[in-house]
Amino acid sequence: MNTKAPLLSIKDITHNYQEGDKVRHVLKNLNLQVSRSESVALLGQSGSGKSTLLNLISGIDYPASGDISIDGISLTGLNEKERTLFRRKNIGFVYQFFNLIPTLTVEENLLLPLELNGIKGREAIEKGLVLLGRVGLEDRRGSFPDRLSGGEQQRLAIARALVHDPLLVLADEPTGNLDSERGKLILGLLDELVRASGKTMIIVTHSREVASTADRIVTMKDGAISHDKREGD
Amino acid sequence: MTSLISRAGFRHLSKHPLQLFLALLGIALGVAVVISVDLASESAYRSFNQSVEEVSGKATHRIIGGSNGINEGLYTRLRVEEGITSIAPLIEAYGKAGKETLRLLGVDLFAESDFRSHLGRGATFDLKKFLTQSGTVLISPGTAERIAVKVGDSFPFRVGAKKRDLEIIGFIPGGTHPEAATEDLLIADISTAQELTGMEGKLAFIDMIIAPGKEGDVLLHKMTKALPESVKIVNAASRSRAMDDMTKAFRTNLKAMSFLALLVGAFLIYNTMTFSILQRRQLIGSLRILGVTKEALFKMVMTEAFIIALAGTVLGIVLGLFLGTALVKLVTRTINDLYFVLTIDDFIVSPLSLIKGAFVGIAASLLAAFVPAWEAAGISPVAAVKRSLVEGKAEAAAPGIALAGIFLILLAFGLLHMGGRSLSAGFAALFMIILGMIFFAPFLTAKGVRLLNLFPASLSRLHTRLAIRGIGAALSRTGIAIAVLMLALSTTVGVGVMIDSFRHSVKIWLESIVQADIYIRSPSFKSKNIVSALNPAFIEKLQHIKGIEGTSSSQWITLHSEEGMKEMHVTDIWEKDSPPFLIKEGEPDVWEQFFDNKAVVISEPFANVYGAKVGDKIELPTDYGPLPFSVAGIFYDYGSGPAAVLINRQLYNRHFKDRSVRSVGLYLEEEAKADNIMNEVRALVSSGEIIEMRKNGEIRERSLAIFDRTFTITGVLRLLAVIIAFIGVLSTMMALQMERAREMAILRATGFVPRQVAGIIISQTGFMGLMAGALAIPSGLVMAHMLIHVINERSFGWTMKTVISTPILFEAILLALTAALLAGIYPAWRISRALPVEAMREE
Repeated sequence: MNTKAPLLSIKDITHNYQEGDKVRHVLKNLNLQVSRSESVALLGQSGSGKSTLLNLISGIDYPASGDISIDGISLTGLNEKERTLFRRKNIGFVYQFFNLIPTLTVEENLLLPLELNGIKGREAIEKGLVLLGRVGLEDRRGSFPDRLSGGEQQRLAIARALVHDPLLVLADEPTGNLDSERGKLILGLLDELVRASGKTMIIVTHSREVASTADRIVTMKDGAISHDKREGD
Repeated sequence: MTSLISRAGFRHLSKHPLQLFLALLGIALGVAVVISVDLASESAYRSFNQSVEEVSGKATHRIIGGSNGINEGLYTRLRVEEGITSIAPLIEAYGKAGKETLRLLGVDLFAESDFRSHLGRGATFDLKKFLTQSGTVLISPGTAERIAVKVGDSFPFRVGAKKRDLEIIGFIPGGTHPEAATEDLLIADISTAQELTGMEGKLAFIDMIIAPGKEGDVLLHKMTKALPESVKIVNAASRSRAMDDMTKAFRTNLKAMSFLALLVGAFLIYNTMTFSILQRRQLIGSLRILGVTKEALFKMVMTEAFIIALAGTVLGIVLGLFLGTALVKLVTRTINDLYFVLTIDDFIVSPLSLIKGAFVGIAASLLAAFVPAWEAAGISPVAAVKRSLVEGKAEAAAPGIALAGIFLILLAFGLLHMGGRSLSAGFAALFMIILGMIFFAPFLTAKGVRLLNLFPASLSRLHTRLAIRGIGAALSRTGIAIAVLMLALSTTVGVGVMIDSFRHSVKIWLESIVQADIYIRSPSFKSKNIVSALNPAFIEKLQHIKGIEGTSSSQWITLHSEEGMKEMHVTDIWEKDSPPFLIKEGEPDVWEQFFDNKAVVISEPFANVYGAKVGDKIELPTDYGPLPFSVAGIFYDYGSGPAAVLINRQLYNRHFKDRSVRSVGLYLEEEAKADNIMNEVRALVSSGEIIEMRKNGEIRERSLAIFDRTFTITGVLRLLAVIIAFIGVLSTMMALQMERAREMAILRATGFVPRQVAGIIISQTGFMGLMAGALAIPSGLVMAHMLIHVINERSFGWTMKTVISTPILFEAILLALTAALLAGIYPAWRISRALPVEAMREE
């Protein structure tokens, strides 16, 4: 593993949506590189293309042109199944609407990424319990997500994003569905856990306040990067 | 697939218990219908085979006589002069003991041991009495119990017009198939049987065992040469084959009806699985984001479907066993009414039938789940969060699906064209057309909704608009629900129109053949060739009754040949009578040729079975050997077996030695009163003689009653298909409305009162029911056309005119509306009762 090479490298990607007879250009020749352990905020208004970019980075969507590579592996060279397996192993997600599995308990939701990566039994449970303790949900392990408050659901989502030790954590408006008090707490927890584990994180937000917690703020407008500002610049 | 993923899937299903229960019930009913029909049909088939086997025994060939049977001397000659020992004489006849129909078998015990196992060993009866005392019989214990007699008892037994007391001297010893095969069997010495059937000095058959190989062939050749012209040798298997062929079409039709029920059940599974996928779009999307592959999701849905199918199938097998015991009675009754006497006391549970049913249930479920599973696997993680995308896709896909429907229908027509007269091809085409029509439903639903939306807002109430738009907005589910209901209703319309048309044709046919005012015959028991003849002196006396203008006579003869059995209707029509049968096609002078004894007329099924045409010559086995007869016409016939020939009595007398008359028609003078004449006729009957006498109206009524009875089983299966469809609609509507709980909660929050919300739901289900009913009428008529002009023609060789009665069409609409409205009641009640805040929070 070349630790000096950027973890994420995006080269000249474009992405379009078909809307009736019209083609809407969502991303236009976008280039971006993210280093290991770097925390990057993608800041922009609705429709700027930041969520689309996040979907392309995670491999759940496919660019019209250009290349995206993570840890030296080109996602555009992978087929759908390979991208899924890559995502399963290397990416952790935190979403605005949590995207928890409603029919699995707190503990089962947490263990799901581990089980998908072949880690089961005592090892998985121990690993899970440590994280549950860190997000303060160890006493809710048997509850179903609909019994949790919004903040608790997002804490569980953060633990689930990190439990399988991914290369990259992607967070899409992680505080968008919470009040400002809880939002701050969640953001602090996410920042703390990601930094403590040395992970790379990309956080999509339209809030300058949220973006300010990141090492680097990339501002997007009309499908292109308008500003790229590192901490201390 | 990992255990957590499957756990997530199953917990989703268990959170919707009612929906799961309805899906299970749908599969279970589908499987139950298939299994019960198979078991009932199998039980009938086996009982029939066993009884044929028991009577034929180990015989390889059978000598069959002409219209007068076989002269007893032939048997003696073969045994004594020709030295052929592997032969046994036989008399077979049906008679009545009270209300029970029993089969009488007259045998020569000394010749029997090689032939019929039950008569060989273990006999515990008084052999001397059996051989020397006339009127002694053996009976099976089961039959004895049923007619309430025991060994040593005597009971009155009637064969045709003859009645006498028989003494039971023992039970039939157990054979290869002890109870089932000897059920309803009476065994008597050949002389007792001859006396009872009026066949003194004659035999019905001589059974033979001819070893395979050259030696056997030489013997067969030698025997054929030694036999008189009127007697012939047929392969023993040909009889059971002929009977088997006779009921094959009936059994195939039953199976097709049961598959139709299963098809409706399969749609229910499709429905349930599609719903469960739609409800879980977000969950599936989340799983995809976490790295669950398409294959794993596909497996997850298929595994769920498999487990539901397995549970439904097990339930279906249990239900099928119960239903089967009820259906076996209907099958027996229909076979008795249509073909031959059959008693099925043993309901045979064949493991093969159960395996078949289980396989069909599981296979249909998996097939039905395949598309939803494929859809689940195809759900993009990005699109997972947006419902509108699915519905947009559903509407966009509707024309393509409709095109696939057109393709299927065209393919069905191609198959019909290329498949000749194959019944299987006919059924395959019918099912393809049904599927094709189902594929049209979503497209027509979308168009219907658009059309309804064209109504100006000012002319329709808000909640009506909301209800209609709701159908279009959830097309991926409403389209399926309408299709399932449409399928079941099409079956109702199709089968209903078919039965109506058939009934109408039978009614016209009955009017044409039942023209005399009064009919007299000796009592007969299904098997038309063993009816005893009417006394000639009695017939002579009839002519002198005042008030009778003329008489006609007729009787049915069964002709045996290697190619199967043919029925010959010998008739002697009174000159003032119009031709007795409606001619389908024929020479212009068909009846002239017939009455001039130049030609015969064949039934429509005969023409279809043997490919005979007007102008052809057909070969018939006469008492003087096989002879050609010209065919002057083809008549409509719904009453005979698969092949009937109508012959003028004078022509018959030329080629057959039998001079007996078994039925006489009396034509009354205008002023004569039927009841008075009947009293006079009764006065002419000698003591001990029995006749049956009926007025023409009564015969028509009884015939139509039998017709209606034979369709009871069809009606039951049709009803089951409707019940399964109703469950389908109920589950669809409920899932659909429950899913809209939040939308309804918003309406409630906006100010809609519970009654208004319930009104929207009921209106929506009502509209869906109306649409399904409207679509079911054309598709049901197409189905009726296929059933009448393809399936019936190919199964039984009958053509009939399509008669569409408006009540059937109204009934379909009413049924659709009722099913849909009933299905909407529960969701309407539940949603209107729920607190809006809870419904919004749930979402």
